[in-house]
Amino acid sequence: MHPLDLSKATKLKSLRSGSSVQWITTTLQTIKSKSLQRILIRPFGTPPEAIEEEVHQQWQDLDRLLVQFWTSHSIRPQIMQGAGKEWNGLRDRLPGLLPELTRRGLVDLFEPGISPPTV
Amino acid sequence: MSCSLPPEILDLIVDHLHDDRITLKACCLVSGLWVPRTRKHLFAHIEFHTSKSHIELWKKTFPDPQDSPAYHTRSLAICGTPVVTAADEGVGGWIRTFHNVVHLQLSRLDRASLVPFHGLSPTVRSLRLSQTTPDVFGLICSFPLLENLALNALEGDADGWNTPSTPPKLTGSLDLRMSGRAHSVTRRLLELPGGLRFSRVNAVFFDEDAESVKDLVSGCSDTLEFLSIVYCPQSAFPSVPVTVPYLTAVRRHTHTWGASA
Repeated sequence: MHPLDLSKATKLKSLRSGSSVQWITTTLQTIKSKSLQRILIRPFGTPPEAIEEEVHQQWQDLDRLLVQFWTSHSIRPQIMQGAGKEWNGLRDRLPGLLPELTRRGLVDLFEPGISPPTV
Repeated sequence: MSCSLPPEILDLIVDHLHDDRITLKACCLVSGLWVPRTRKHLFAHIEFHTSKSHIELWKKTFPDPQDSPAYHTRSLAICGTPVVTAADEGVGGWIRTFHNVVHLQLSRLDRASLVPFHGLSPTVRSLRLSQTTPDVFGLICSFPLLENLALNALEGDADGWNTPSTPPKLTGSLDLRMSGRAHSVTRRLLELPGGLRFSRVNAVFFDEDAESVKDLVSGCSDTLEFLSIVYCPQSAFPSVPVTVPYLTAVRRHTHTWGASA
C-alpha cells in the first residue's frame, strides 16, 4: 500500500481521503503545501471496536499528525464516520483513538448521511 | 401585449422563469414571439435514454434539423446503444444539430457509436463518459475548450490513438472511477502534450489501479488544488475477496461521501 506523494502539490488547498488509517496517515505525511485549508478523512476497513495493537498505533500516529496540522496550518480535521453498523459509537471511542486531538476539542465528526460543509 | 413589449424586456421576463417548466410551456402558447426565448430554456437540458422511442419522438416532433431546438441545448445526455449511431445516419446527422452543447454525457456506447460525437460542439467544456469503450481519447481531443472530464468504469483496453498537437485545456476537474482498468486510460492522459493541468481530482480506485492513480496525481501536481481520493485496499477488507460483496462494502463506505470537494 504505497501512499500518494503529494509533496509536489504545492497549491493543494483541500484533501479528502477515504481509506485505511495507515494509508491516510502516510499520504498526509507527504503534504508540503502551505495553502492547505481543509482535511477531511474517512477511515474505513477494520472497525475501531476490534482493533489490535498495531491498528491502535496507527490511530495514534494519525492523532499526532493531525495535531501537527492544527499547529502548523490551523486546520481542524473533519472526520466522517463509516456507514456500517460496526462504526456506530465512534464518537465515544474517539478519546481513545485520537486522544490529543479530542483533548484539544479539535475533532469535527460527521455521521453517515451528513455532508460536511464545503470550502 | 407582447407586441408592445420591447424584445429585451420580454427576454428578461422569460429568463426569470428559466427553471419553471410548466410556466415556460404556457408561455410558448401565448405568442409566436415568445417561442424562441422559451425554447432556449425548455431545451437547455436534453436526455435520451436507451429506449429508441425517445429518439423516434424527437425526430417526429422536429423533422427539420434546421428548425430543431437542439440549437438551444447546452447539456446533452445520451445513454444508449448502437441505435444512436444508426438513427444518426438514418436522418442525416441529427446528433450534429446539438452543436452548442457545453456539457456532454455519454453512457454505454461502443466505439462506433461515439463517432458522431467527435467535435460535436466547439463549446464543450464538460465531458462525462460512463461504461463506454476506453477508446475515447480521439473524442476527448476533439473538444478544444474541454475543461472537466469524468471517466467512469470504462470497459476494455484503450488501443491506437494519435497524440494530438493541440490538446484540450483540461484545467478543471478530473473524475476517475475505475475498477482495474485505469492503467491504459491514465497512460493516455499522461501522454497529452503539455502535461495535465487539472485543478481538481476525484478518484475512486482499487489495489490494481493504485500505481496508475499515483502517477496521475503526480502528473497534476503543479496545478492541483482540490484532491478527493477514495482508495479501497483489499487489506482494509481482509475477510472479503474483490467480488460483488466487496464492491458493495466499498460503495457503502463511499456513497455518503457528500458534496464534491
